[in-house]
Amino acid sequence: MEKMTQEQAKTIANMLRKRSLWMIHYCTGCGAMELPPTMTSRYDMERLGLAPYVTSRQADILLITGYLNVKTLRRVITVYEQMLDPKYVIGFGSCAINGGVYWDSYAVIKQLDRYIPSDLYIAGCMPRPEAVISAFKHLMELIDSGKANGYERYKRNLAYYKENQRKVLG
Amino acid sequence: MMGIVDRIKQIDGAVVTVYKENRIFVDVDKDKVIGTLHSLKLMGFNQLSTASAIDRIKDGQFEIFYVLYNYMEKINAIVRMWIPRDNPVIETAGDIYPPVHTWEREMSEMFGVVVNGNEDAGKPFILENWKDLPPLRKDFDTVKYSSEHFVFRHSEGENE
Repeated sequence: MEKMTQEQAKTIANMLRKRSLWMIHYCTGCGAMELPPTMTSRYDMERLGLAPYVTSRQADILLITGYLNVKTLRRVITVYEQMLDPKYVIGFGSCAINGGVYWDSYAVIKQLDRYIPSDLYIAGCMPRPEAVISAFKHLMELIDSGKANGYERYKRNLAYYKENQRKVLG
Repeated sequence: MMGIVDRIKQIDGAVVTVYKENRIFVDVDKDKVIGTLHSLKLMGFNQLSTASAIDRIKDGQFEIFYVLYNYMEKINAIVRMWIPRDNPVIETAGDIYPPVHTWEREMSEMFGVVVNGNEDAGKPFILENWKDLPPLRKDFDTVKYSSEHFVFRHSEGENE
């Protein structure tokens, strides 16, 4: 039997990974309100192989639920760097995209992907559980096709991300 | 027997406004606020719900208020005082109501009010590495600060 190339091994790993994603339960903003119905029996995300998890070391998905303060950003970066590869980030709601209603706030950052790489954004204020489930399904497709490579981009462009982080965190 | 409102009216320097049946305002001078709070506590206002400041920039003053509640009479008393904006110094009420300690700390961070007798006021509380004006002052330009420190996202076709 021929030896598997690294590329082929990665394809198979991605196929398996997408069926068992664990989401760290770290809530940054008001969007976390939509997660209990998504997790529990009404929308039941566990049927897709997704489960909430409490520690960052075992988790695969980091959800940025809503607005992200400068103070929270410091903690989010720590959590993100604690997570093991592969890891995926979903920006949740309009505040993570462009600041949303907090566009002129002194405490809220405006673009999530300047500080940590985001694989996917969900639009809406707030996104309903249907939108969240749809985003998880889309993330699975991205993982399957190898396009969800935020953690690789973070390593490759570490200098860029660190410089942006240093600018706001001081 | 005298009602609670009449008893509050007898406090030295207190100007009482009855706003509703269960909500009254007590306006006092800056130097009489600690005495007033003490008298109100003796009347049964056991709970301090909140204490904060309002920036009255047109008058050049800060309004400091303490919201108290009396469980027996079921009545709210809001003690208000005005202090000059260019020299905002107050005395701590922490000896009468210990929970006010944290509110005073927030007040000093968000408005720059100096609290005498509260050793934690002035230490960093919510903000981290803050070097600008206290952010809840009215002359703090939040749009300017925001555009200097953060990068806005512009959508395609938008006029910049």
